[in-house]
Amino acid sequence: MKNRILATLMAVTMAAALLTGCGSNGSADGDQSAAGSASKQQNTVSGESITLKVFSNLPDRKNGQGLVEQLIIDDYMDENPNVTIEVEALDEEAYKTKFKAYSMDGMPDVVSIWGQPSFLDEVLEAEVLAQLDESDYADFGFISGSLDGFMKDGKLYGLPRNTDIMTFYYNEKIFQDNGWEVPETYDELLTLGAAIRDAGMIPVAMDGGDGWPMAIYLTDLLLKITGGCSDDISAAITSGDFSNPFFKEATELLVKAADAGLFQDGYDSQDYGTAKNLFTNGQAAMYYMGSWESSMALNEDIDEEIRTNIRAFTMPVVDGGQGKSTDVAAWNGGGYAVSANSEVKEEAIKFLNYMFQPDKLSKYGWENGVGMSAQDQTPFMTGEETALQMNFIDILDRATSVSGTPINDCGPSAFKTAIESEIQSVSNGSKSVDDFLTMIGAACK
Amino acid sequence: MKRLYSNKMVIITLVLPAILVFLFAILAPICLSVYYGFTSYSGMGEAAFVGVDNYKALMKDETFWLALRNSLLLAVGFICIQHPLAMIVAAVLDKLQGRAEGFFRCVYFIPNVISVAVIAYLWKFIYNPDFGLLNNVLKLFGYQGKINWFSTENAIWSVLVVLIWHGFGWGMLIYYTGIKNIDPVLYEAASIDGANQKTIFFRITLPLMKPVIQVNVTMAVIAALKQMETVYLLTNGGPGNSTQFTANYLYQQAFKAFKYGYGNAIGVVFIILCLAVTVCLNKVFAEKEV
Amino acid sequence: MDAVGKKKSRVGKVVLWTILIVVAAIQIFPIIWLVNFSLASSNEMFTSGLLVIPEKIQWGNYVKAFVDGHFLKYLFNSLLINSLAVIFVILLSIMSAFACRRMKWKLSGFVKMLLMMGMMIPIYATLLPNYKIYNMIGMTDTIWALLIPYVAFSLPQGLFLMTSFLESVPLELEEAAVMDGCGIYRIVFQIVMPILKPSIATIAIMTFLNNWNEFMMASTYLSSPKWKTLPFSVLEFIGEYSSNYAVQFAVMALTAAPAVIVYIILNKHITKGAAMGAVKG
Repeated sequence: MKNRILATLMAVTMAAALLTGCGSNGSADGDQSAAGSASKQQNTVSGESITLKVFSNLPDRKNGQGLVEQLIIDDYMDENPNVTIEVEALDEEAYKTKFKAYSMDGMPDVVSIWGQPSFLDEVLEAEVLAQLDESDYADFGFISGSLDGFMKDGKLYGLPRNTDIMTFYYNEKIFQDNGWEVPETYDELLTLGAAIRDAGMIPVAMDGGDGWPMAIYLTDLLLKITGGCSDDISAAITSGDFSNPFFKEATELLVKAADAGLFQDGYDSQDYGTAKNLFTNGQAAMYYMGSWESSMALNEDIDEEIRTNIRAFTMPVVDGGQGKSTDVAAWNGGGYAVSANSEVKEEAIKFLNYMFQPDKLSKYGWENGVGMSAQDQTPFMTGEETALQMNFIDILDRATSVSGTPINDCGPSAFKTAIESEIQSVSNGSKSVDDFLTMIGAACK
Repeated sequence: MKRLYSNKMVIITLVLPAILVFLFAILAPICLSVYYGFTSYSGMGEAAFVGVDNYKALMKDETFWLALRNSLLLAVGFICIQHPLAMIVAAVLDKLQGRAEGFFRCVYFIPNVISVAVIAYLWKFIYNPDFGLLNNVLKLFGYQGKINWFSTENAIWSVLVVLIWHGFGWGMLIYYTGIKNIDPVLYEAASIDGANQKTIFFRITLPLMKPVIQVNVTMAVIAALKQMETVYLLTNGGPGNSTQFTANYLYQQAFKAFKYGYGNAIGVVFIILCLAVTVCLNKVFAEKEV
Repeated sequence: MDAVGKKKSRVGKVVLWTILIVVAAIQIFPIIWLVNFSLASSNEMFTSGLLVIPEKIQWGNYVKAFVDGHFLKYLFNSLLINSLAVIFVILLSIMSAFACRRMKWKLSGFVKMLLMMGMMIPIYATLLPNYKIYNMIGMTDTIWALLIPYVAFSLPQGLFLMTSFLESVPLELEEAAVMDGCGIYRIVFQIVMPILKPSIATIAIMTFLNNWNEFMMASTYLSSPKWKTLPFSVLEFIGEYSSNYAVQFAVMALTAAPAVIVYIILNKHITKGAAMGAVKG
C-alpha cells in the first residue's frame, strides 16, 4: 500500500517537475510578450521592440531613491512604447556579489555603480563597462568635479547620481531647550558632548557597526586638519605608507572623541538602523550621517516635534588645522553605467541620458527628499522645501572645498575591508593608533 | 543473500543519481574553486596564476588564525555544552509520552524554523547597552553600570552564547530521532530485569546511540566551521575582527575584499580541516568499541 | 512506594515540569517577539527592551508585506522547489545509504566518504563557479538552478544521517525478506523505508528548513522574478540605507508561518515503534 502511494507521489512530482521545467521556458517568453503585446501593436509604427535590463541596488521601489528610479523607468516606458524595461534589484551585499557573477557573463544593460576606486578600479580592469562620450553631457548641469570619480585615463565610464555630504544632524529644539550651541571648534564639540552626557542624553549617535561612517569621520578630520589632502591619501594608499603626521593626528582626534564618550555606549557594534533610531527617538542629540537622511524631516513615522527640528552642521574646525568651517566632507558615490557587452547599447545609453535629464533624477529626487543629485537642482526648488533641505543647500553653496571620495573608498577593496574593521578597534582603544596605521598600510600592498 | 546484496546493476542504480548530482553540483565547482585558490583572481576579469602565494599569505594571516580559533571554540561549545543538554532533553521528551511530548517537541524547535535574521535582530536588542534586556535585568538587581556586551573583549562570548543557544534545536531533534529508532523491546527487557531509568539510559540508550552521536558531533564541528550567517548579521566579525569566524572570513575576503583567489584558498584549507576533523572523530569513536 | 519516595518523585516531577516550561518559554519567545514587532511601527521598534505595546496595531504592515512582497507568488515557488528538493533528497539518501551500508561492494566506503564530503564545502566557494557552469548550459533563471544545488547541498547531510539511522534497522528483517524471495528494491522501499519513518521525517525537516530561508544561491542564480522564492520578499522593503523594519518583520513572520506548519506536520512522524514487533521471534 505504501509502495503504491510512494509510486504515485514520485510519478506526480516527476510530472510536475517536467511540466514546470518545460513551462518555465515557455512562460518566460509568455511574460515578455504579455508586457510587450500592448507595445507590439505600436511596433509596426515606431520600431522593433527592445528589452532593457536594469540592475539596481535599490530593492525598495516604493520609497526613497528606489521610487525615484522606478518613476523614471515608468516615464520612459510610457514615452517609448516599444521598449520594455526589466528591473532586477538586490540589496547592496547581494548586488555586489551578483555583479561579479554578471561580469563573467550576462551583465544587464544598465547597472548601478559607485564612482570610487574601491569599486571602479577592479570593474574597469575587467572591462565590463561601456565608454561614454563626455562631451554629450556638457549641458547636463553636472556639478564640476562630480564626474571625476567615474573617469579613468580621461575616459568616462559612468554618471554620478548623488552628491553626498556628511554632517552632524542635530535637534535644534533640544539644543535650545538646554542652552546648547552649535560647536565651532572640535574641542567645543567634545565639551558639548560632556554636557549632553551630564544631561542624560547621548551626544552623537554613531553607526559604528559599519566601519564606513567612522572612516568618513576620519576623512572629515583630515580635511579640517589639512584643508584638502586627497592627493596625499592616494599617495599613501599607493605606497602603503601612512606615516604622514596628519593621519596620526586625525586618528587620535577620533579616539579622543570615542574616549570622551561622544558616541553612544556600544556604538562600535550597533548598526545603521539602531543608531538612526537613537536620534529619531530623541535619545541622542546629534547624529553623524549623510545628506541622504535629509528625508527624516519628511518621515511621518517620526515624532513631529523631532522631525521638524532637525538641522545639520558640518565638522567643526580643528585647533591648528588649515581647514575652514566651510570645507565639507562631500563626494559623488552612487551612479549608473552601461554594460560594455550590452546587445542594445544604443538604447541603453539613450535611457541613461534620459535618466539624467534635469527634470528626471534631479527633479524627482528633490521632490522626494532623497538628498542631492550631482546636477544643479536650483531650477526645481518648489519653495516648499523643509528647513533641513535648505540647510543642506546652504552648506553646499558656501562650501569652499570638498573632501572628495572618503578614505575607505580610495583604494582597493582589500584596503576598504581592512580599514573599516580596524577603525572599530582603534576607536574603542583595543588597538593603538600606530598599529592601526601600520595595518591599513599593509592592506594596500 | 550475499549474491543479492552484491548485484552490481542494483548497486549502480541505487548510487548513481546521488553521484551524478554530486559531480555536477559540487565536485565541478570545487575543482574550479581549487584552481582559483592558486590565482589572484579578484572575482572579475583576469585570473593570474600565483602558485601557492595565497597559502603562504594565509599561514601568516593573523585574522585567519583568530577566525579559526573562534570556530574551534564554538565547536567545543557545541560538543561540551549544547550536545549533552540536547541529549538529556531528547531523552526526557521521549519519556513524556502523549500530547506533552508532541507539544514540547514542537516548541523547542521553533527558533530554528524562523529565519536567522530574526534571531540576530532579537539578540542584538537583548544585548543593547541602553535598552537591552540583559542590562535592564542587571539594573533590577542593583548593578549600576552598563555592560557593553559587544565590546572587543566580550563580543566573542556574547556571540558564542547566541550560537550555542540557537543550534540546540537541531542537536535535540537528531538525538530525539536516534532515541526513537531504538526498539522499545530492549527497554522492556531491561526493566523486566530490574533496571531503573538511569541505568537504562547509560547502559542501553547511549551505547545504541553511538552512531548517531558520532554523526551529530561531526556535523556540529563542521557546522561550527561553517558558521556564517548569524555572525554576519550579529557583528560581521566586529568590533575589529574579534568575532571573525572561518566561513565569514572566507566570504569577506572572497566577495567584499575582491580577493576571490585568496578566499578560495581559505575554502580549500577549510575543506581539508573538515576532512581532518571527520577522520579524527572516526578514530575517536572507533576506539570506544569494546 | 513509601511516603518519602512518593514525595521525592513528586518534587522531582514539579522541578522537571518547571524546567521544561521555562525552556519552552525561552524557545517560543523569538516568534512572539517577531509577531509583536511586526505589528508596531518602525520607529517604536528600537525603544524598549523586551516587547513593545504599539500605539496603534499596524495591520497595514502585513497588508504591505503580502501585496508588495509578492507573497503568494513567492510562496508558491518556495513550496514547489522545497517540496521537490525534500523528495529528491530523501529518495537519494535512502538509496545511497542502503547501497553504501548494506550492499557488499569494494567501493562502498569510498563512495560514502565522497558523497559526505559535500558537507564540508562552504557554499560561497561554489557560488561563482556554479554560476559560470549554469550560465554556460543555460540553466540560470530556471527551476533547476535552485533545485539541483539545494538537493546537492542537503544530500550529504541526509546521507550521513540516514546511514547512521540505518544501523538501527535489524538485519534479521532483511534476511527474512530475502528468504521470502524479495528483490533489493522491494527490501529498500517496502521493508526498510517504513521503519525509517522517523529518520525520513527528520531529514525532510532538515532539508526543508535548510533551503526555506536560503537567499545567497537564489539571488545569484535567478534574475527574473519567475522563480523567486520567499526570501526575496524582504528585499522589497530594504532601501539603500534605511529600511522599513516593521514591514520586514511582518514579511519574516509570514515567511516563517508555512515553515512552522510544515514542521508541525512532519515532526509528528518522529514516533517510536516503527521497528516495534517487526522482528517476530
